[in-house]
Amino acid sequence: MTDQGYSPPPGLLEKTASVAAQQNAMERGCKFLPHGCRLFPVEQGWESKSIANDENVSVVSTLLQLEEVMKNAGSKLVFIPLDALMTDADIEKICQRNATVRTFFKETKKT
Amino acid sequence: MTKKMEQETHLLKTKIKDLIVDEGFQKKQARLSLGSDATEASVAKETERRMKQARELSAKLVRPLGTSSRPYPMWGSQRSDYNGQSHLEQVLSIIADDSNPMKVYSERPFVEVIAMAYCDMPVPSMLPLFFDGLERRKPESTNRTQMMIGDPGAGKSFMGALQGRMRSTQPVEVFDCGGKNMNELLFEMVLDFGAGDALPDAIDKRLKTGTLKDISLGYISQLNDLEKMPEDVAGKPEAQEEWNKKRIIVTYTDNGTPVIDWKKLGTGTKEKIDNAFEILKKISNIEGLDKAGGNMLGMNSQYGPLIRWFMEGREGVLDEYNKSKEGSDNGLQTVWQFLNGETNECTVENPLKNKDLTNGPSSFTFRREDMQAGFFVTLTGNKTEDGLTTRSLNKSVYSRLSPQTLPDPTEADWQHRICQMMCGVPVSTLYSVFREQADENPKEFGQWLMQLRKAKAELEGVPVPELQETLLENWRSVVNSTRKLARFYSEWSEMTNADNLMTTGNTDLIEEVDEEYAKKEGIDFRKIKQHLEAALPIRPHMLPEDAEVKADFKNFMKQPELAEKEYENPSVAFGTRLVDVLDRMVFEKSEAIGKHKLYEKLKASMDNAGLRDIVLQDGAHSFQRSVEEDLNVSVFDSSDMGKQAAAARKVFCEYIRQVDPQIVEADDDKIITIARLKKSLQAVAEKDTAKTKELFIVNRDHETLGTFPLESVRIEDIALYTGDGTEEIELSVVNHEDFMAALALPTVGAKNLEGIWDTNIRMRDEQIEKENNAGGIDAEKNATADEILRITENRSELGLATTTLRVMFKDAAGEASDVSVHVVMNKNRKKTLVVGEKVPTKLLSAFKEAGIIHVDRHAPNAKAKIEAALNDLTRGTRNQEISKRYLADAFKFRNELDLGEFLLDKKVISSAQLKAARDELNGPAYKDKANEKLGEILIKQGALTAAQLADKTKLSELLVDDKIGMLFEKYVVKDSRPKL
Repeated sequence: MTDQGYSPPPGLLEKTASVAAQQNAMERGCKFLPHGCRLFPVEQGWESKSIANDENVSVVSTLLQLEEVMKNAGSKLVFIPLDALMTDADIEKICQRNATVRTFFKETKKT
Repeated sequence: MTKKMEQETHLLKTKIKDLIVDEGFQKKQARLSLGSDATEASVAKETERRMKQARELSAKLVRPLGTSSRPYPMWGSQRSDYNGQSHLEQVLSIIADDSNPMKVYSERPFVEVIAMAYCDMPVPSMLPLFFDGLERRKPESTNRTQMMIGDPGAGKSFMGALQGRMRSTQPVEVFDCGGKNMNELLFEMVLDFGAGDALPDAIDKRLKTGTLKDISLGYISQLNDLEKMPEDVAGKPEAQEEWNKKRIIVTYTDNGTPVIDWKKLGTGTKEKIDNAFEILKKISNIEGLDKAGGNMLGMNSQYGPLIRWFMEGREGVLDEYNKSKEGSDNGLQTVWQFLNGETNECTVENPLKNKDLTNGPSSFTFRREDMQAGFFVTLTGNKTEDGLTTRSLNKSVYSRLSPQTLPDPTEADWQHRICQMMCGVPVSTLYSVFREQADENPKEFGQWLMQLRKAKAELEGVPVPELQETLLENWRSVVNSTRKLARFYSEWSEMTNADNLMTTGNTDLIEEVDEEYAKKEGIDFRKIKQHLEAALPIRPHMLPEDAEVKADFKNFMKQPELAEKEYENPSVAFGTRLVDVLDRMVFEKSEAIGKHKLYEKLKASMDNAGLRDIVLQDGAHSFQRSVEEDLNVSVFDSSDMGKQAAAARKVFCEYIRQVDPQIVEADDDKIITIARLKKSLQAVAEKDTAKTKELFIVNRDHETLGTFPLESVRIEDIALYTGDGTEEIELSVVNHEDFMAALALPTVGAKNLEGIWDTNIRMRDEQIEKENNAGGIDAEKNATADEILRITENRSELGLATTTLRVMFKDAAGEASDVSVHVVMNKNRKKTLVVGEKVPTKLLSAFKEAGIIHVDRHAPNAKAKIEAALNDLTRGTRNQEISKRYLADAFKFRNELDLGEFLLDKKVISSAQLKAARDELNGPAYKDKANEKLGEILIKQGALTAAQLADKTKLSELLVDDKIGMLFEKYVVKDSRPKL
């Protein structure tokens, strides 16, 4: 840190933004899915971008990718973009047959 | 990952025979491995080696559950003696056994197992089955199956999978048996897409970009019709509907794009896979994908899930086993015999092999010696009463799988599940078993609950949601409210269970609740989920029926400009939202569909359970808090001063930045540290402001605010100056914003609201009364007046109070003048209404959190907001209208209302009407009762009706009027006491 200004470590701002976006989404309520999974809607905008860009978050666009992520114990957080090829019912079905806890952030259209 | 770590994450692949710490067993294994020629000495040595290895491996895998220092709840039968007789009862107790605790054989660290075991704990009545499941997973257990039968939504597959999840980080595969041929569990046909799923990937990409040809889209829709409807299903609408639901492979997004469930498409019967193969071949050809390298397509037979789980040492759940195709599980009988420990070996043949040149394994042999520690199969089934598609299993299956039937949920079960959904921890069950300790040290118990929740959040990869954190901190409120909710849900479930109406005292509902209704609208645990989902988000709130709102008809077609969004903590009105949802659901599921009796009973049940405020028969507000009140929690209710300081710091800094343009510092820490603010809040918390009459505001002095964030102020009451009016007092009056900001600070706001009350008017009146009436005061005559006076002093048993303070306010033009701030309170309901001038927007959300409704008296809908707030404040009092009238009368003790001018100003009467009434009043004889008499005369003269007069002089009208002056001003003034 200097008097002229503070330079945060690389990636810190992005990480902070992602965590803030996740917390905001979690405050707005969720859909409970089977086996303790939860789906949080995130409006398209800085929040969805921050979560999608977080390296700890797996981004999935198809059911095949989602199925893969369910099998990977390291992918606890999953982001589903607006144009993903899946419906809420599909996500629920995949959670039902792969009993493991995942937290989903699903991008929704800006109201 | 190091090699050692990798090995430890695969410990569940250890053969069971290597884990059993039993000398006799290991000796037998030693003999087997060394052969019949081995000497006794070599067998003994090998036995010793094997025993050592078994001990070491077990130590790595065993996670004890239910020891003396970490007891685990358990439900079961116990005998108790009273009145000289022995009774068998079902009780909730604990397992706390250091020598023989329950054991989870897990690759996960202890903390993860504990987090799951406590947070995701099955409901109390299912705990014995949970215990049994753990026992059957021990290495020495030869029965590697557990079958549970119960109502839909009871949590059977969740519990089966939970045990698997507690053991490994790998997902537990749940195989839906509904409508399927059970031979698929052993051998199944598969579509072979080659490595990397190139063909599905290519089709998905084209679907996403909208470039798939129309004819291919047509073929894709045919993927939902791969199998013929079985004969036993055709003609049975319910079974048909369920079969149709199960076979869905292609769903459609909102914009009509097909979504293919490739996993589901890729496995199944020969008929299904043959048809799918043909369709995909056509699509591949149309799209030209067959020409691209790697887009291979083939079909094969392979081991089914049961064999795969066995080979991989994994857990699996066979869901809805008794909804599988009738007769299709005959070939599994020998497998069940092996899995339940009756036999040690079993071979199954692949019927698909060589059928139409199909490749694949020809058979598989299950051997006890190959069994790995991680292998286990949970089977779930619905009760046969649940629909046509649920079938009764063969006697041989029952005898081999010995299904365990789940008991009907008790109130404790409902409460447990509600707590889990709400807070992520079954607070009620944990409180039941640790009640003494929790009551003795509630803070420590709360911290432990939070520790458990945080450990589970680590597993989930996200922080604990703020709402859950707030609720866990207020765990007593959670226990109280969920007890009431559980009673209501339990009664609701009984009222909608057509089978048990006679035995649950709901005979009167027989005409309204039939089988069909029960199936559709019967209450099970899943409904709690739906109701909570609806209550969690903050949504627009419907105003009371009599709320006054004026629409802007002139500009109606123009999009309105919205005010700056106020942040609202989701927990502040969570209770209200939940009870609103239940009100709505109860109506929609009964009255709205013509079930009047059910509606009446449900409404009564809601009242009895205390979902809304409890009003006792004599009209007094009960000391028992309602569900709504208990679940409307905020950081202001937190006992943690650190949390309060963090919240106060946010309000403090945002306020300072908004009102003081010189403060541009973005870092809150540089304005004030949490530690410093916490110290000040602690000092304020220790003050008895009701006695000392000391108030506090934000210190705005740049030099000192970082060290002393609060400054002391006091009230200067003109009612105390009884002289001839010539006394001169110099006052430094506090400004409106600073006074308001202090109300929005945790601890400070509450302490200030305690310090603003006085008995000065009473003292003054008593003095005058003594002077005018030497014979004493007529107590009876003054009873009502006394109650009203008590309201001005915050001493009324109704809990209601009101007073007015004067503070300085600078208007938009920069003109400063003193203005009134009216405070109306209901201390029983912890609700406060403050009516004043406009406040900085940053304070609005803090007011909500503080349970304070702030109304800007100049806002267009001010009256409607005040009316709604007053309705809420007086809810639960004997008579809301009388309470509001008392408050209006109490308001007049401090405020000077000239009724004539007030009505004239409101254009309710004309100046001629006022003059005529004043003429009739005839002089100053009526001075003291001028308003009362003037009202009577105006009515008599027909200037307005009594109802109009009451309506136009109701409290909401008075509170918004900025022309009403004060009889005796109470100024909030700066004080010379040291800053805090």
